[in-house]
Amino acid sequence: MKNYDIHQHVQGKSIFIDDMRLPAGTLHAEIFTSNIAHGIITSIDTSAALASKGVVDIFSASDIPGENQVGGMIKDESLFAESEVHYVGQPILLVVAESKLEARKALSKIKIEYDKLKPILNPREAFIKGSLIAPPVTFELGNISAVWDECDFIEEGTVESGGQEHLYLETQAAAAIPHEGEKIKVYSSTQAPTATQRVVAGILGIPMNKVEVDVLRLGGGFGGKEDQASPFAAMAALAANKLNKPVKLVLNRQDDIRITGKRHPYSSDFKIGFSHEGKILAYEVKFFQNAGAAADLSMAVLERTLFHCTNSYFIPNVKATGISCKTNVPPNTAFRGFGGPQAMFVIESAIKKISEKLDVPAYMIQQKNLLREGDEFPYGQRAENCNAKKSWNEALSKFKYEERLQSINQFNLENKFLKKGIAVMPICFGISFTSTFMNQASALVHIYTDGSIGISTAAVEMGQGVNTKIRQIAAKIFSVDISIVKIESTNTTRNANSSPTAASSGADLNGKATELACLNIKERLLNSAKEILNADLSEIKIENGSIFVNEEKKLDWEELISKSFLKRVNLSSHAYYATPKIYFDKSKSKGNAFAYHVYGTAVVETTLDCLRGTYKINSVKAVHDFGESFSKTIDLGQAEGAIIQGIGWMTMEEICHDLNGRLLSNALSTYKIPDIHFTPDEFEVHFLEGAKNPMGIFNSKAIGEPPFMYGIGAYFAILDSMKAHNKNLDYDFKAPMTPERVLLTLSKNIKTKIHK
Amino acid sequence: MSKKKGISRRNFIKGVGTGVVGSYVVVPALNNKAAKNLSDNEELQLKEGWQVLSLKVNGKKIITKVKPNTLLVDLLRNELQLTGTKVVCNQGECGGCTIILDGKPVYSCQMLALDANGKEVTTIEGLLLGEELHPLQQAFVDEDGLQCGFCTPGQIMAAYGLLLKYPDPTDEQILNGMSGNLCRCAAYPKIIKSVKAAASRIK
Ligand code: FES
Ligand code: FES
Repeated sequence: MKNYDIHQHVQGKSIFIDDMRLPAGTLHAEIFTSNIAHGIITSIDTSAALASKGVVDIFSASDIPGENQVGGMIKDESLFAESEVHYVGQPILLVVAESKLEARKALSKIKIEYDKLKPILNPREAFIKGSLIAPPVTFELGNISAVWDECDFIEEGTVESGGQEHLYLETQAAAAIPHEGEKIKVYSSTQAPTATQRVVAGILGIPMNKVEVDVLRLGGGFGGKEDQASPFAAMAALAANKLNKPVKLVLNRQDDIRITGKRHPYSSDFKIGFSHEGKILAYEVKFFQNAGAAADLSMAVLERTLFHCTNSYFIPNVKATGISCKTNVPPNTAFRGFGGPQAMFVIESAIKKISEKLDVPAYMIQQKNLLREGDEFPYGQRAENCNAKKSWNEALSKFKYEERLQSINQFNLENKFLKKGIAVMPICFGISFTSTFMNQASALVHIYTDGSIGISTAAVEMGQGVNTKIRQIAAKIFSVDISIVKIESTNTTRNANSSPTAASSGADLNGKATELACLNIKERLLNSAKEILNADLSEIKIENGSIFVNEEKKLDWEELISKSFLKRVNLSSHAYYATPKIYFDKSKSKGNAFAYHVYGTAVVETTLDCLRGTYKINSVKAVHDFGESFSKTIDLGQAEGAIIQGIGWMTMEEICHDLNGRLLSNALSTYKIPDIHFTPDEFEVHFLEGAKNPMGIFNSKAIGEPPFMYGIGAYFAILDSMKAHNKNLDYDFKAPMTPERVLLTLSKNIKTKIHK
Repeated sequence: MSKKKGISRRNFIKGVGTGVVGSYVVVPALNNKAAKNLSDNEELQLKEGWQVLSLKVNGKKIITKVKPNTLLVDLLRNELQLTGTKVVCNQGECGGCTIILDGKPVYSCQMLALDANGKEVTTIEGLLLGEELHPLQQAFVDEDGLQCGFCTPGQIMAAYGLLLKYPDPTDEQILNGMSGNLCRCAAYPKIIKSVKAAASRIK
């Protein structure tokens, strides 16, 4: 099954916010932001800007009728800075003009002065200075202090992973239209319509029932529009509300990159104890998360880091501490994997260290420590239907790992400056929001009198194909042609109090709610058919758009619907789903946090040009646990896309700030993401067989995030290439492994040799 | 997979916008300004150095007046309401705004509208062959060459330009021809398949 909108997409007919035909007289907004990382505003002069051609008004914090607050989990973030600014790019004013160009021109006429303060840019510095988002969080299993003595070896190390810019191709965007009775309708490119609705209501100081948020589709989200779409919607709404005119706010690329948060960079310390056979006995890890200037979703991201600190390994004694550090960069936020990738990079680095100590290939250590059925995670849940070993074994045999290893060794013997490397990357990722209450969704299903079906859910379509899956679910339950099922925009008036479409759970939660709603109606329809056809319920079947009694066709779908309508059968249903059996006690850091886990194993191969530092990802092959996928085309696309994005994070995507906290990689010319050349020559993702998942919709598993973490394998494959060039390579665990970093590391090692 | 009939190369090129060749559209300048009267308008235009621009877009002849600093992409999106062409970076780095200008793919965010004077522009909206999808569009459907769809118009136009130049492209020519078009969803494997499928169908 293909993307629901694909026919429109290929014709350029799909509407994104900037493509909407808004009413005549729509105004355009641009944001004036701080250009220093930390300081106190001493004066602002907007007179020249206000007098500028086309400018209608300029808004600041003092124009906010409600509360100047956009924080979700912790109320620590203002919409517009009041006196202190905390990062370069922090919004201060909103300029509204008749055209975008006029609004932009006016920005340069605003005069501002600050008393500068020293910014904190590094999370460890923040930690030392006590600049934290919230107190540290610790997950513990076993008794770590008691086992260090039993370990044959103990290794320690530091691991750094960089941020990542979402670079959804559609930038943050919103259009707000005032309605009668102080109501406002906001079209927003948001993954979280309800959160956006709440923020808009809070800013305007009106109840949520006066704010309607509507989302048709997103040109990519990746987490960047989970918490961070709301401020832009609120700005547009504020201006629209004040001026009583429609207002559109579409960020340009540079502004979007500068203003919005990214994947959290982490700096981590680990200590790992193991036996001489490579069995891991104890793992202690401390994560210093660079949260940026406000909480945003950082604490939830940090928690997921702790949940996934042991990846797909069983370690009997674990102590993992997460510290969310407040710094003077834009508030970092959700990004595919949500803290999980950062955690997995650390444990994989620790395993690399063990392998070097014991002088055995890393995959042997990985293999020895894989999770088995019933093993306990550091948060107390036990591995159920565990596919860690299964996917590992299948991957290594299917992709002939030992043979590949030999041919790589041979290649490396024959080539001096071209070196091949290989790495295996297993993953284990928990599915559910780790804040248990968020695991709920609703669906509203209508069958119209002509038989056509309309469905509204809380899920936001952003390319992941959730609307297609929901269509499939309805078509399957009613056994009708999929073409008569339409998915509506995501709208807070139709589906209230929804969770964001995030945590890979959109299809699971909303799919289950859709299933329930459809089953409700189907039951009514069967009863109606029983009466219309005067038959026994057990004899009636709805199949392929027809109604049968004992295999004999009696009615068309359309006839059944219209007859049922006349019989006053309710053809609509609103259903609600909450994931059963999950809970998590935050005070103890224990609980059954996840409905299930997704497993898989990838093998990554690279070739490195040791003179230039450039590399090619030759091959990525994975055996992935999709559960029983009912949308293979979509799921495969998600897996491939996630893998490439994960490789991008680990290799080429580098976020750079100058010493004053100004972002240097602030455009596509300086921030590089994978292009088509980056596609591995050999790219295979296989469906793990026999991986039925009773907790997922139609036994499937969530797909959005887990494959992202296969990308970590690329880092270790490149490292393997580097070590093939210099076995005693002195290096740091630092990502991204850009060609520059490769070259600097290799040349640093050459120098030491010469000096000796 | 597709039951669509093959299409000859001749039609591939000629087919673009054939339904409307010869039609004529005059776009009123300053169409979204609440101008008081025409002479005010004219005075302003004179001051700002507006110029007459005539070009063909998707087979239609367009005559309009533009400010000299108007970008081609803004003319297409804002004046002609051809919003299939996307602005992603506005910097010539992503290919989201790719269109065909006199047979060659160009980034419309990097061109002044006036530079298209007397030329022929094809946008994603101009690819339909009557009611039917162009074979390239059909190939992206068949091979599922997209996710969020935001880069798709640009990808398809880049592929269109590529196939005009190399009707039977090698793998390397596909990669090079498409490397100016970013896809953050990283649908690349399927984009490659889509371009290949289109090439073999058009042959
Ligand atoms: S928008 Fe023109 S190249 Fe990016
Ligand atoms: S399909 Fe989303 S950017 Fe290409």
